[in-house]
Amino acid sequence: MGERGSLAVGVLGGGRWGLALAAAVTRNGHSAMLYSRRHELAPNLAGAFTRTTELKAVAAHARLILLAVPSSVLRDVARALGDVTNGSHLLVHGIRGLSAEGLTPLSQVLREETPCRRVGALGGPALADDLLEGLPSVIAVASPFAEVTDAVRAVLEGPRMRVSVSRDLVGLEWASALNGVLCVALGYARAIGIPAALLGGVMVRGLHEAARIAVAAGADERSLFELAGVGDLLAAMGQDDRPECRLGAALANGATLADALADSPVRIEAPTLVPRVVAFARRHRVDATLFESIESVFVGTLDRETLVARLMQRR
Amino acid sequence: MAEAAPIFHFNDERSFIVEEVVARVTHAAPDPLLLLNDAAWCEIRRLEARPGGERAEYERFRDLARTLGKLSDTERRRKVEEVSRRYAQDIAGNFDPRVYAVSTRVLPGALSLLLSPKDLGLGLRALGRLQDYVVTQGPIERIRSLARRGTVVFVPTHLSNLDSVVFGFALDREGLPPATYGAGKNLFTNPFLSFFMQNLGAYRVDRRIKHGLYKEVLKTYSAVLIERGYHSLFFPGGTRSRSGIVEERLKLGLMGTGVEAFVHSLRRGHPQRVFFVPATINYMLTLEASTLIADFLAEVGRNRYIIEDDESTRLERVATLVRKLAMTTGSVVIRYGEPMDPFTNRVLDDGRSVDARGRTVDPATYVTRDGQAVIDEARDAQYTRELGEAICASFAKETVLLASHLVAGAAFAKLRESFPGEDLFKLLRHRDEVFVPSDELERRVADLTDRARALEDRGGIVLGPGVRGASAQAIIGAASRAWAGYHTNAVLRETHGGVVLGDTNLLLYYQNRLAVSGLGFHPSARRA
Repeated sequence: MGERGSLAVGVLGGGRWGLALAAAVTRNGHSAMLYSRRHELAPNLAGAFTRTTELKAVAAHARLILLAVPSSVLRDVARALGDVTNGSHLLVHGIRGLSAEGLTPLSQVLREETPCRRVGALGGPALADDLLEGLPSVIAVASPFAEVTDAVRAVLEGPRMRVSVSRDLVGLEWASALNGVLCVALGYARAIGIPAALLGGVMVRGLHEAARIAVAAGADERSLFELAGVGDLLAAMGQDDRPECRLGAALANGATLADALADSPVRIEAPTLVPRVVAFARRHRVDATLFESIESVFVGTLDRETLVARLMQRR
Repeated sequence: MAEAAPIFHFNDERSFIVEEVVARVTHAAPDPLLLLNDAAWCEIRRLEARPGGERAEYERFRDLARTLGKLSDTERRRKVEEVSRRYAQDIAGNFDPRVYAVSTRVLPGALSLLLSPKDLGLGLRALGRLQDYVVTQGPIERIRSLARRGTVVFVPTHLSNLDSVVFGFALDREGLPPATYGAGKNLFTNPFLSFFMQNLGAYRVDRRIKHGLYKEVLKTYSAVLIERGYHSLFFPGGTRSRSGIVEERLKLGLMGTGVEAFVHSLRRGHPQRVFFVPATINYMLTLEASTLIADFLAEVGRNRYIIEDDESTRLERVATLVRKLAMTTGSVVIRYGEPMDPFTNRVLDDGRSVDARGRTVDPATYVTRDGQAVIDEARDAQYTRELGEAICASFAKETVLLASHLVAGAAFAKLRESFPGEDLFKLLRHRDEVFVPSDELERRVADLTDRARALEDRGGIVLGPGVRGASAQAIIGAASRAWAGYHTNAVLRETHGGVVLGDTNLLLYYQNRLAVSGLGFHPSARRA
């Protein structure tokens, strides 16, 4: 446990996002312990947090554990974490995406692989670099357990960070995942130079489609219109280096999906997510024209003219 | 073993329990003024409409409302105590071991005397075979073992007023201890059910009283019983399923008393483990099917009213039903699901909780902080919500399909195909219009049974004892025999070379048992 007034937090994942979360916690005067499998990675960018390669040490250090690992390894990490945690731990992941096996929210993976019940997720537009540089920022957290959102707020909120709280965990997770797809559309649309007014129309339509899809998955519609949803999308308008936007732009400029993905410095969930989302929408009889179009763009069966024509059609 | 259960000493503890409830409710009341005001307002409004025999109660609340404003804080708290005590005493039941013995061992004979003096011989034989036609399935050995290590809370599906009698009978036969339960006060006016319920530890729930103080007393009563080791029975659906659909959403109020009892016991330093056991009660025929489905159709989307007079109040209906059920072994199947702790962890024979990966986990860790058990209502409400979801998932998986469900499912599919695009209410008006040739009905039943079997292989549902391995013809025969002579309107009317679909409401009712699994039609339109 930390010193008086200082709270203990565990962070899993030695990538930039993990480092950023540990830095944000430390900046607020709390004690973070960062776990990563590879020790040699990056020197202590933001200073004063402990590092470990032992999950057990993290579980002993803190009740609140933030997970910032790639979604592809989450299940394995969670399973190992489950061996060293118990019902008292609070687990919060900060991963955009839904489980690869189905469209299971990642918090569900935490529930399946660990004995922990009090789980939550982070979302919103904050980029790792913002946190590392200590720029003023915002972050969203959701959990049906007030204890979880309270704990996250206690360690992340400070002069440089606002935390926006919600109970709708499923909503936040679906909003984050679907937004990733909408950002690809945003990048693509901007790259083909569609008029700004139409761009606005496309984005609103995408948001509404996302909202209907998320509601079919059990989300509260409002979650799509909060920080992890519309807030994230608005921020993306000004984030030129956002990986999903760059992927969209590359596709618009004629790159194949494989090439565009190979060029991206980080893993992007959207291409694997989209076909499953489209199938899900079809099953639930939800209109998802924009998502279908993005799917066609990914597989290269849709050119710009057809795309624009399709978007102009009345349903 | 069963005789060691605390319920056998209930009468000695009764006043202690009542006082404990009163003390807790009074102590926990956050705002006595608000609580009493709400109680008085609700009760005056209710009793004004129909004072009947409760004139005195009405006057008491009128007085309370008049004087409440002038009372000091201490006096108000004393009033809370007074009203709680009155409620707790009304709720607390009785347990008479002699009646218990009578009801479980001699009940068959005694009941048939009560039921139908005319058909005494027949009735006796039928009820005497309760033994044979009620089939019990599931991890019974484990539940027995858990009953010795903590409090078992049974949470079955709810279709009929007979449920508590049949469930209680099955518990005794399997060597499981009796479970106390809350029964609607309206049932206590039923001459046939009341005598037994009064003396079997059932406590009385007055569903007409809606205010917070009463609910608090009720929940605290349940929590105190669980904490003291009284095995309990809740119908978490809250009321009988009107549609026949397996419960998809539960009332969480009473279920939440499980975790509450556990936390309290930790704080007292005498941990009392609490184990939830979901169960499905499956009937070939439902006693009150006609009334229930009519109520469902009349009230879709609105509040249900309390049915005061349905088939279960008519003794000759009960007798006929029992005779029909007795024709087939396994016409009533009680299936217990996997026991779980209040945090949805599976529980092993020795009482250990294990997570989804089989790791042992101490349930106290979910509610303790720095070694101290902490009361946190919001947290526990969420645990209970998740428990409710896990119980519904268990219901769906452990639903047992009997011949009447499959045949109704096949027939109802035919009805829908005959009138494509029609909404439910239009569809149901086509009584006695659709003819199904015998070979077509057989093919449909065979197909549906195959699909059910495939789902069973994936662990999604259970085929009943009379259905497993039976031919479509035999399944149709069993369903037809059960329906014929019990339901006033023929469900399937036999004609030359096939059947005509008769009482479409009842077809819907029995096929609704297939709704949640996706094997049948689901009447709630929002589903994809």
